[in-house]
Amino acid sequence: MIFLRWAGTLTALAIFTLFASSCDVNNSSEPDPQLDLIPIESVTVDGYTVSLESDSNLETGANLLYWKVERNGDLITPQSISINPMMDMDDMMHSTPYEQPEVAPEDDRYFSNLALFIMAGGQMGSWTINFDITLANNETISGTLPVEVESSWRLTSVRDENDNIYFITWLEPEKPVSGNNDLRFMVHTRESMMNFPPVTDAGLDIYPYMDMGGGSGHSTDFNAPEASGSGYYDGSINYSMSGTWTTSVTLTVEGETLPDVMFEYSVMAN
Amino acid sequence: MRYLLTTLLILSWVSSAYGQTGTYRVIDRATGDPVVQAHIKSGEESVITTTDTDGYFTLNPEEYPAIIITAVGYQTRELVLRSGSGTIYMNPAIFRNDSELVVIAGRDNQNNVQAYRRQHQAETMDQFLDKIDGLSANRRGAFAWEPVVRGESDQRMNLMIDGMQVFKACVDKMDPITSYVETNNLSQLHIDKSGSEVAQNGGGRSSVNLITRRAEPGPLSVNVSSAFRLPDNYRTFSMSGSTSDRDGRNAIRFSGSYKKADDYTAGGGRQIKNTQYEKLNLNLSYRHRFESDHTLEANYISDKAYDIGYPALLMDATEALADIGQLRFSFAPNDRNWRMDFIQVYANGIRHTMDDYSRDVENRSVMGGMHMPMYGETLTGGLRAGGRGVLLNHSFEWFLDGFASLADGEMEMNSLDPGIEDMFIDNLRDVNTRRANIGLKHRFMLSDKLLFKAEENIGLKTVTTGSDQYASFFEGLYGRDVESRPRFLLSGSGSLLWMPADALSFSGSLVYSERMGNHMELFGHYIYNYTDGFFYDGNPWLKTERTINADFNTTWETDAHSVSVSLFRKQFYNYIDGIITEDSGATGVRFKRYANTGDAVITGGEFRSLNRFSHTLSIENRISYLFAENRSLGEPLPLIPPLKGSSILHFHFGKNKLMGEAEWAAAQNRIAETNSIEDKTDAFATLHLTWERSWFDRSVTSVLKANNLLDSYYHTHTSIGNVPEAGRTVMLSLRYAFR
Repeated sequence: MIFLRWAGTLTALAIFTLFASSCDVNNSSEPDPQLDLIPIESVTVDGYTVSLESDSNLETGANLLYWKVERNGDLITPQSISINPMMDMDDMMHSTPYEQPEVAPEDDRYFSNLALFIMAGGQMGSWTINFDITLANNETISGTLPVEVESSWRLTSVRDENDNIYFITWLEPEKPVSGNNDLRFMVHTRESMMNFPPVTDAGLDIYPYMDMGGGSGHSTDFNAPEASGSGYYDGSINYSMSGTWTTSVTLTVEGETLPDVMFEYSVMAN
Repeated sequence: MRYLLTTLLILSWVSSAYGQTGTYRVIDRATGDPVVQAHIKSGEESVITTTDTDGYFTLNPEEYPAIIITAVGYQTRELVLRSGSGTIYMNPAIFRNDSELVVIAGRDNQNNVQAYRRQHQAETMDQFLDKIDGLSANRRGAFAWEPVVRGESDQRMNLMIDGMQVFKACVDKMDPITSYVETNNLSQLHIDKSGSEVAQNGGGRSSVNLITRRAEPGPLSVNVSSAFRLPDNYRTFSMSGSTSDRDGRNAIRFSGSYKKADDYTAGGGRQIKNTQYEKLNLNLSYRHRFESDHTLEANYISDKAYDIGYPALLMDATEALADIGQLRFSFAPNDRNWRMDFIQVYANGIRHTMDDYSRDVENRSVMGGMHMPMYGETLTGGLRAGGRGVLLNHSFEWFLDGFASLADGEMEMNSLDPGIEDMFIDNLRDVNTRRANIGLKHRFMLSDKLLFKAEENIGLKTVTTGSDQYASFFEGLYGRDVESRPRFLLSGSGSLLWMPADALSFSGSLVYSERMGNHMELFGHYIYNYTDGFFYDGNPWLKTERTINADFNTTWETDAHSVSVSLFRKQFYNYIDGIITEDSGATGVRFKRYANTGDAVITGGEFRSLNRFSHTLSIENRISYLFAENRSLGEPLPLIPPLKGSSILHFHFGKNKLMGEAEWAAAQNRIAETNSIEDKTDAFATLHLTWERSWFDRSVTSVLKANNLLDSYYHTHTSIGNVPEAGRTVMLSLRYAFR
């Protein structure tokens, strides 16, 4: 009788363990529940529906683009996706700094890439993203997605004495909160209308400031960003309170200190 | 036959009468000597009889089953009498120089040079504390002055109610806990200026313990009092009462007071805006005495203050709420080697709401153009226990003390400019303080004239925040990870009392103590310090502040004349103070961060004399002086009162008491200019006059008091923002005692 009770207990434990481990296996292929995307645009080409999604509406500055390919409602995993954002301003066209999509580490059903739109769409012109998708059977589908890009505070630009333009993108904190925040910028320049390489050896000085009105205001503690490669600059900023803050950025490129530019944004209470 | 019956009846009655009377003897537990002139009381204030020269008294235990025994120099004893005779032991009280027994009310014979008596029933706690030698008050207006002991306030002194830790909720320190105990609910103040009572009080810091009145066995008694003062229209009504069942096993006491004042007027007729306040205080106390003589007490204080003006500050308190509760179980005295005398559990919650909606924020120099509503809250729970033990034939007292406290504070900043977004600051977010202490107290009678006392205490304390995001602010500020680091804190003291003659005593004590920064010094953020106008950030990595205090007292005391002189020197190492932030890029606001700034010293002394020339005439003089310096900066510490004193003439005739008081302070020219922004203060002197008379067989007492008779315009050096003191005031108070 005791043996039967032990056997029953062990069997139950074994079933539970098996069930738990099989759940783990299934979970590993589940999409990241943290990935909360909204649809941006989609187009159907040759029976394949190509969808562009993002975590928010597209805006000037940095955007994470998520690409999804479906056929008859089933997800397709392509070999590769190649894109080319383009701004059409009637009398001229230009691209913007961007990276090519790769399988999204947080959800392998998607490809994702970073795109830094340097201007908003609207009366000045409109944005499209051209894509070429190589499927598993080596078939290639191509198309164009029109996208709306709104204006935001996260991107600014400055020119040097030789009229070279530098685009400074605020990457992090994406949502500034009271307390210490990682601070990350990207800096790009324009070599041609289609080529915006990262600037990897610039110096960045910043100065955060809060104007509280009534003649009162103050800065806060920060670590100035330093180049960390590929056009990224990493530091930290320690917001003492929520409210509207400004952060001025002074770029030094090849010994030339460029005029200050300013980011103005809201810091939320934590 | 008739004769016989009558004789038997008389004998029976006499026998019965004698059977109801018991004879008892009161003995000093330490020496075995009789305690002379001990007061045997049936309630808090009604004395039934006193002990004779051999320590004896007689009493009918059926008429007075529960009694209280008080005697100068001994701890008060409460007990239920059994029929017949018996011996009652009294424990000697504390050293005179270490912890001054301050008697607020009652008929105890405590009018000596170590005791202070409330001058009249309408005297507030602030006024009373400010008149005790070595104590002063940081004043912010008319309400809730912050008590200071020998130049140390706030985090450097231990302010308690019945031994309970109660923490301010206002990060701007506008709610000192002395405001939660009204004088009609105050039994005693235990003030340990030297900090030598480390066993019980923990950190070796100066301490003030407000002992509230308890429910006592006795017949129904009710006191009602009311007062009105001009020109600030201060009006107060208070009531207290107590009663018990016949055998004294269940007793209950209540007290309540309401007070309200308008803006006061300084000397010369200048009205000081934002000095109004309104306050309600309630207290309920219950005591049950078990058959075994153990007692269980429950006590609850509710204090609600509204519309409190602070002229020296940027804003006013709209609501200050305190709820303070405790349960205390006291074990019946016994002679076991190891015993517990009491165990106490308590909890309290303090909430403080402030705003500046009634201020002209547009034109103020600091944080102008915005409103800054604030809210703060502390929740504290704790446990205390004490008893005695014997080890290797050595008797000692032991104390356990532990508490946990949670503090939160926040401030909004709402600009008048609609284009400026509302701002929000966490001043304290989920800041937890936990502490546990164990202390031992030893007494050694080296001879019949020489007594040595040693105390030691070890504590474990942690202060941390439960909010990672809030912690990240300090991590960003100092470039280190915030970790909860428990710290052991040690303190110890040695005290020597030498009494070469009955009237003369010399005593000295040496105290070593360690202090960890408090929750605001470690985890405060953007906290406005009204004493210097800076905004402070905490520093979780502050080193422990260490202190060595040497204290000396000599007292000469006879029935008619007595003099007491105290001298002390306190040396601080790793002194915690704010240092100015080098480059905050600020306009209109200034910042400091807490840091260990080096060494500091506070030294000084107090003098007090009492001269009773006759039964009708006596005079009292008090003088105190402090010298305080931050040795690292080479400049005085801020908010140190100058040489000051007072002389009080008492004149008693019949049912009348006249009291004239001259209060004075010298100019203070030693000011902190580098690390604080002080200015010099002129000398001043004021005169006060009080006439007290009892009526209707002392059941009614009237007090007419005129303060600042000459209507002088002045401010004390510890008045924040140089807010002037009240000018001439006249107050009439009436008290009716029903028994």
